[in-house]
Amino acid sequence: MEEEEIEKLVTAYLKKRGFKDAELAFQEELHRHPKNASASAGAAAAAGGSGALSDPDVAKLVQLFSESKSVPEQYHDGYGRLRSWAHDSLDLYKHELLRVLYPVFIHCFMDLIAQGHLHEARIFFNSFRDDHAMMHSGDLLKLEGVLSPSHLEEMEFAHYLRNTKATIKICQYSYELLLQYLHKTQSFTMLGIINERINFQVSPGQPTSLSDDVGVETIFTTDDATKINPKEIQWGLLEDSLEDRFEKGAFSPLEADKGEGEAKEAEQDDNKKRSGEGKQGNAIKKSKKDKAAAAAVKNSRTEANTVSTAPRVKAELTLPVMSTEVEQSILEDLRNRVQLSSTALPSVSFYTFVNTHNGLNCSTISQDGSLVAGGFSDSSLKVWDMAKLGQQSAVLQGENDMNNGEHAGPLGGRRSYSLYQGHSGPIHAVTFSPLGDFILSSSADSTVRLWSTKLNANLVCYKGHNYPVWDVQFSPVGHYFASASHDRTARVWSMDRIQPLRIMAGHLSDVDCVQWHPNCNYIATGSSDKTVRLWDVASGECLRIFVGHRSVILSLAISPDGRYMASGDEDGTIMVWDLSSGRCITPLMGHASCVWTLGYSCEGTLLASGSADCSVRLWDVTTSTKTPRNEEKSGSTGRLRSLKTLLTKSTPVYTLQFSRRNLLFAAGALSKGA
Amino acid sequence: MSIVPKETIEVIAQSIGIGNLSPDAALALAPDVEYRMREMMQEAIKCMRHSRRTVLTVDDVDGALSLKNVEPVYGFAFGGPLKFKHAIGYKDLFYVDDKDVDLKDVIEAPLPKAPLDTSVHCHWLAIEGVQPAIPENAPVQVLAAPVEGKKQDQKDDGLPIDIKLPIRHVLSRELQLYFEKITELTLRNPESALFKEALVSLATDSGLHPLVPYFTCFIADEVSRGLSDIPLLFAVMRVVQSLFHNPHVNVEPYLHQLMPAVVTCLVAKRLGKRLSDNHWELRDFVATLVASICKRYARTYSTLQSRLTKQLVNSFLNPKHVLPTHYGAIQGLAALGPNMVRLLILPNVEQYLKLLEPEMLLGVQTSKIKRFEAWRVYGALLRACGQCVYDRLKVLPPFPSTPPGPLWKCNARVVTPLSRKHKLNGDHLEQQSPSKRMAIDDSVTSPPIDSITDNNNAPGEATASTALCNASKIPENSGEATTSTDATGKEEVKENGFVASVRVSAIHRQIWKDDLDSGRLLISLFEMFGESILPFIPSPEMSIFL
Repeated sequence: MEEEEIEKLVTAYLKKRGFKDAELAFQEELHRHPKNASASAGAAAAAGGSGALSDPDVAKLVQLFSESKSVPEQYHDGYGRLRSWAHDSLDLYKHELLRVLYPVFIHCFMDLIAQGHLHEARIFFNSFRDDHAMMHSGDLLKLEGVLSPSHLEEMEFAHYLRNTKATIKICQYSYELLLQYLHKTQSFTMLGIINERINFQVSPGQPTSLSDDVGVETIFTTDDATKINPKEIQWGLLEDSLEDRFEKGAFSPLEADKGEGEAKEAEQDDNKKRSGEGKQGNAIKKSKKDKAAAAAVKNSRTEANTVSTAPRVKAELTLPVMSTEVEQSILEDLRNRVQLSSTALPSVSFYTFVNTHNGLNCSTISQDGSLVAGGFSDSSLKVWDMAKLGQQSAVLQGENDMNNGEHAGPLGGRRSYSLYQGHSGPIHAVTFSPLGDFILSSSADSTVRLWSTKLNANLVCYKGHNYPVWDVQFSPVGHYFASASHDRTARVWSMDRIQPLRIMAGHLSDVDCVQWHPNCNYIATGSSDKTVRLWDVASGECLRIFVGHRSVILSLAISPDGRYMASGDEDGTIMVWDLSSGRCITPLMGHASCVWTLGYSCEGTLLASGSADCSVRLWDVTTSTKTPRNEEKSGSTGRLRSLKTLLTKSTPVYTLQFSRRNLLFAAGALSKGA
Repeated sequence: MSIVPKETIEVIAQSIGIGNLSPDAALALAPDVEYRMREMMQEAIKCMRHSRRTVLTVDDVDGALSLKNVEPVYGFAFGGPLKFKHAIGYKDLFYVDDKDVDLKDVIEAPLPKAPLDTSVHCHWLAIEGVQPAIPENAPVQVLAAPVEGKKQDQKDDGLPIDIKLPIRHVLSRELQLYFEKITELTLRNPESALFKEALVSLATDSGLHPLVPYFTCFIADEVSRGLSDIPLLFAVMRVVQSLFHNPHVNVEPYLHQLMPAVVTCLVAKRLGKRLSDNHWELRDFVATLVASICKRYARTYSTLQSRLTKQLVNSFLNPKHVLPTHYGAIQGLAALGPNMVRLLILPNVEQYLKLLEPEMLLGVQTSKIKRFEAWRVYGALLRACGQCVYDRLKVLPPFPSTPPGPLWKCNARVVTPLSRKHKLNGDHLEQQSPSKRMAIDDSVTSPPIDSITDNNNAPGEATASTALCNASKIPENSGEATTSTDATGKEEVKENGFVASVRVSAIHRQIWKDDLDSGRLLISLFEMFGESILPFIPSPEMSIFL
């Protein structure tokens, strides 16, 4: 081929593709080094999308571009052919090759949009969307609305896709098959996209098996995840914690005897104290139950405790000092704790909100179960004291007996709860301080408010977020709390400052939920960008990115030994992660709808989950989260399993929590429509 | 290319006052509209998720709009899905059916019931991993014995728990005992003072709701079994009455089971064993009971009254039914109020009386009992019609000036002998043949009219004002007396020669016209029943009538 012809073709190509600068440069270059033209043509073609190709190839390619069909057709046909080729390929390599299709599909669509072929883009999208509807329906829904180049600019998701390379693990042979195909068919559009947008991790040997396909969704991850995740984290528990001391005390032989006696005393004390305090109803039920089990547990306690085996770390934050009285009561709780396992399931006490008129947005239960709080869409926060509730109805019954004619309502027209008003938007999250003396509420009015349950009054209003605050959580030691907001940040606060101590920015979409690590050095956040991140509170750094969920993450829980984390999403999937490796141990499937809440039992053997499908599920998380100590067992139980499904009566479960004695509290609003 | 057609954009543009939107602009706007809509929905779904809901509401969309700093759409509230209507003449144009609401109606409407306040209830979802079979839990496959009496006790407090009872619920021992005691009392000694106490308890106790289905069953059983036992039926009906009185018990779901039993007691062919049994009284009692039930549940159970009246009218109009049944039907309808009587009885009275009259005759073919029954029915019918008339007349506007003394006096004079005569007649009615009775009626009715005209003439000379007043009344009187005598009344006025009266009568004619209907009604009734209808007419109107 004549050099001049090539020059002409190159100029025509550059014009057509709209590379004005490149064209100018090319012209200049031509004038300056007329001899060297072919080399520069190669360079320009490289910019066009195809890499190291030999000279005649370039000519062919350039020719192809200049004379070929219209751009949209290229995309449509090219993708169509790639697709049918992938589907017809050898079964062994098929699933790997099919993985390539999705990123190519998305980028074809976005390319078409970006070039202004809107109508064709829509046709393209609709003709191939069904292939991916099962795996990526959420993404498709989002992309479907993109109808102009400006939308691409504006939309965070599209932006993200454009700026990140898809990572696909593929075996050597599949990779070669793909390249061979692309070259043979001269589908340079596809080749361009694959080169530009996909990052292949080519592994030698056999292709990965289908069952390990969990990683399919993780195609679009930032490189950050791989960069960040190797960082070291100290997932151990706080040294010198109360539990620690308790364990040590219980194990020394002298103390053990004393402990027996003490326990009995404690039980009596317990009764006295409780009746003295007037904690009725629930508390008494609870203590009964717990007592019965306590004796049995005493013996089994000698077994190794997961919590005790966890390494100890130093606290990075200054922790509030605990009064001795509180310490005593916690120790008592620990003594009376029921040992739970896959064979000893917990008792569940359920609080049902009735007559909420669809207004209950969130609820929470205090550590001992005596207080229940509900945040409503009418900006009010209501707190029920279960002990008082019992008394009131008792008193009223007495009244009823005395004079039959008077039929005031069951609560005599008085409110059965204390009402906190102050927010100016729907309340989205409520949390009790560990001792139950404070409540935090976060609202759509972008503030977090601190309330005192003793004074029944608002103490502080924390302003900092710019958009609705979706979640707020007290730290396990109190004093500090974390909030998550629509403004894509999570913030860490202390009760005595009105400014946040740390701002955790990095999520690509709303931060939907937040949870503290038991050692208070880390917080975990779940986001609408389908990732969970772990942040260091002291430095504000992101330490881990957990990728794998297919939809919005709604709930988080971290195991009491600090090693594992569970996250629940909108589709009903729960994933259990190993914090140190950043890998998903196993997904737990079973819920049919949003998982609103998760909770670990105190010794970390059971995971409870509450969902919009009106059930509480209990999962056994001991079998595979524990390092296989019993070798004979570990062979069969690689995956975690569902132990029990407890159905409620058309009551979605909004919150659940294990008390220190391992009684499970759950709450939800009765909804007739459900 | 966008799912929003450009016509939609054009319609929206028109609705906000942009008439000349170019098609190109519409075409360019459509994709952006779609994108914005999707964006809004994405945000709204976030709001929905954070309100722990799985159903998107208007509030969520408002929340999303405020997130994007856009003014919310006013005028929409969560109250179920909006109804879109198809616009006639356009293929795919829909609009929200927005009805005009009269502000007056809104203001005058009674306040809706205050919603119940939110409350929290606690129960065991599981005990050591096992779900107890209590009403608060979803029904489980394995039905275990109730774990503790505690839960049921809580129910008895009458807390307004919205939890629907499960198909299988367990009655507490207390409630069982209570039920047994009440049923025993009802069956054994309904006369005792204890039974009265029991009725009071039934009407006031707040924890009885779980027993309602049992009572319903009991009542239906007893009525079908004990139709011959009047005291028992009375007792059972008293139980029904008490249950309906109880403000804490919602009988509505069981109405369809209860009503047949109650209506049976009203229109049954035979109640009681012996003829001497006073089933009339029972029917009267049940009639008022039925009416009160209808009144109470008219709003929640809209077809109740129509179904009931249908049944009653059927049994009233069916000549094959026995007279006691007719009696019950008439009483039932009468208890439902004068309007029901006017609508359902009055049009049929004339025909019915034709049927009834032979029964009332002292004939050979009819037994004494039959005749007694017939008179009973006649009485009930008379009462019903009379009440209806009374109700109509009562609402007549009062006359501008009180009738002068002389007129009153003479009225009184006329009326007293009349009523006395009526009494006399009543005593002898059984022996009199109807024709004779009618004759008496005629003889009784004609003189008073004469006397009034006489009286009218008499005070006419007294004072101008009284005369005026009288004159104005004459047309009404005559008009009400007989439609045809309208002219005579006027003639009389002319005869009297009071010119001024014409003006006043013109004003009053207006009122009179309005009341012509009731006047006619009264006349037709009068024709049918004779003067026995008269005691039902309130005295001032009576004076006019006479």
